[in-house]
Amino acid sequence: MDASSIDFLVAALRIATPLLFAALGGILSERAGVFAVGLEGMMLAGAFGATVATFLTGHAAFGFLASIVAGACLAAMIAIVTVRFQAEQMVTGLAANILAIGLTSFLLRSFVGRGQAPVIQVALLPAWPVPGLADLPWIGPLLFQQPPLTYLALLLTVPIYLMLMRTQPGLLLRAVGENPIAAFAIGAQPLRVRALAVIACGAITGLGGAVLALQQIGTFSDGMTYGRGYIALAAIIVGRWMPFGTLVACLVFGAAEALYLRVQAIGLPISSYVVQMLPYLIALAVLAGLGRSARLPAAIGVAYDPKG
Amino acid sequence: MTTAAEGARLQLPALMQRVALTQESLIRAALAVAAALVCTAVLIALSGKDPVIAYLALFSGAFGSIDRVAFALNKATPYLLAGIGIALCFRAKIINIGGEGQIAIGGLGATWAALALPVAHPTAAIALALAAAMAGGALWAGVATIIHLSRRVHEVLVTLLLNFIALLIIGEALHGSLGEVGAGFPQSPLLPATAWLPKLWPRTPLHIGFAIAVVAAVGAYVLLWRTTFGFAIRVAGASRPAALYAGLSVPSITITVMLLAGALAGLAGGVEVLGVHYRLIEGFSYGFGFNAVAIALLGALQPLALIPAALFLGFLEAGALAMQRQVGVPSSLVAVIEGLTMLFILAAMASAERKPQ
Repeated sequence: MDASSIDFLVAALRIATPLLFAALGGILSERAGVFAVGLEGMMLAGAFGATVATFLTGHAAFGFLASIVAGACLAAMIAIVTVRFQAEQMVTGLAANILAIGLTSFLLRSFVGRGQAPVIQVALLPAWPVPGLADLPWIGPLLFQQPPLTYLALLLTVPIYLMLMRTQPGLLLRAVGENPIAAFAIGAQPLRVRALAVIACGAITGLGGAVLALQQIGTFSDGMTYGRGYIALAAIIVGRWMPFGTLVACLVFGAAEALYLRVQAIGLPISSYVVQMLPYLIALAVLAGLGRSARLPAAIGVAYDPKG
Repeated sequence: MTTAAEGARLQLPALMQRVALTQESLIRAALAVAAALVCTAVLIALSGKDPVIAYLALFSGAFGSIDRVAFALNKATPYLLAGIGIALCFRAKIINIGGEGQIAIGGLGATWAALALPVAHPTAAIALALAAAMAGGALWAGVATIIHLSRRVHEVLVTLLLNFIALLIIGEALHGSLGEVGAGFPQSPLLPATAWLPKLWPRTPLHIGFAIAVVAAVGAYVLLWRTTFGFAIRVAGASRPAALYAGLSVPSITITVMLLAGALAGLAGGVEVLGVHYRLIEGFSYGFGFNAVAIALLGALQPLALIPAALFLGFLEAGALAMQRQVGVPSSLVAVIEGLTMLFILAAMASAERKPQ
């Protein structure tokens, strides 16, 4: 494997990292029965929190924390409307995304920029080479010379998988997403489980925004997530609501975009628009192909009414 | 034999009940708007500006001159057209959030027809381009419906995913055969003037699109409340088992209402292209489909109530820029108001639905 192939894989991983946070968060929400259309807004809120907190305090750690809190706050609003009031989940997600675009832009201009769009630059997080492993041939640069959140994204897949598939709370979460009435019958509290799952989704997805802001772009601009939340939604579908499958889907989407960048450099006539369509086309094909056997959580989108 | 008077008396309680229900849902919408405006007023105050002055600037920006009013009405037009179709879908409990893509493909259809099929007569040229826009929107909604019905995929997922594909198709078309050479921006050449929509009010930007949209709203009202098909839509929305028991075919209702919504959304895209820009521009309709969903909710899914809802959003957007210029309150406040209003209405609608009638 030559240097340029490693560059390609590094680029794919870089593009996949923010998607992975959002998609892993989204799995928790959707497995509990709440469509995660709000990923885009949660990610944007996270990017906003990360940039502003890092800019004001000078410490990236506060940025991480702020991204988690910002994502969770937006998610809490979605949870109140969809779980407590049982509103239509998809439309609620869209509304939250509109709110996030407006609110981040407004807050940035009003409180940081005194009416204007401020220029706030934050230093990009440096790579944290893993001692001993970073110098390995070709796998070192790819997997062990990354900035901190990239390690976290890759590692997070394992605990989320274990929690979801191998623990009591994970079983409960899935039960609520499949059949909330049955879950209630065995003593679970479907409303609480769903609300917690959505808020946890927001916290994790917010970190995806921190990846964009602190590891890749170094500032906040209006709508900077640019549809990544929706691509993460497609990745969840392609990964069939399983953490490892979704990890692979994110990497494939990242590789497709990285491939496009390379193809462009060589000068092959492939349209950028067609490449950008791939995630959505693949997700549609997977949905259509699964058809009746689609392993969509059975009670996703269905409100649970404790009174009846 | 029943006389006309008896017939009217028999219908009266039902009519009263409908009026009462409509009033109740519209009051809810008004309260949601008020709550959102109060929340944003608090935000403005926290940022050190006077919310009253900001809202006054917004108001005078929206209504200050005939041109401003015309601008706002033009803004409201595509939201209203697409919102009507979405309201019909939601009435049948078909959650179509594909307006964004259907509008875009409609704009593409209108542009293609105006460029590729030159017609000398203005009325014919406009009719042809608008027909192509409706066909484009309906086609895109049809694709979603086919996947939804044949593969039993959740319609929200299909319509959502197809939105992004449609927007990228526009980009691809504008970088390819439909793009203007040397424009430096992804846009089509200027359309022949025969295809431009005539003005509704001379010497203002106001084009006839708004009149078309109002006619469509009235038509949708008649369809929903005065026809058998409208009844079928409402039965299917109220209870799928009841629709089956009544011998209605839910798939054929789905197909019809989706194609109708697609055609209306396509028309919205076509009207925007032929009435405002006179060319297809990448991103010309970004956010329109989602605003149309907001309109449908704000108007409580009542076609006629969608008209004031669309006007509210149109004037809000028209006034926001003036507010930003005069008071220094960022115009992105509009998105905050929209988002909050939608969230409040969604919560209120859902809790009203749960209340035993």
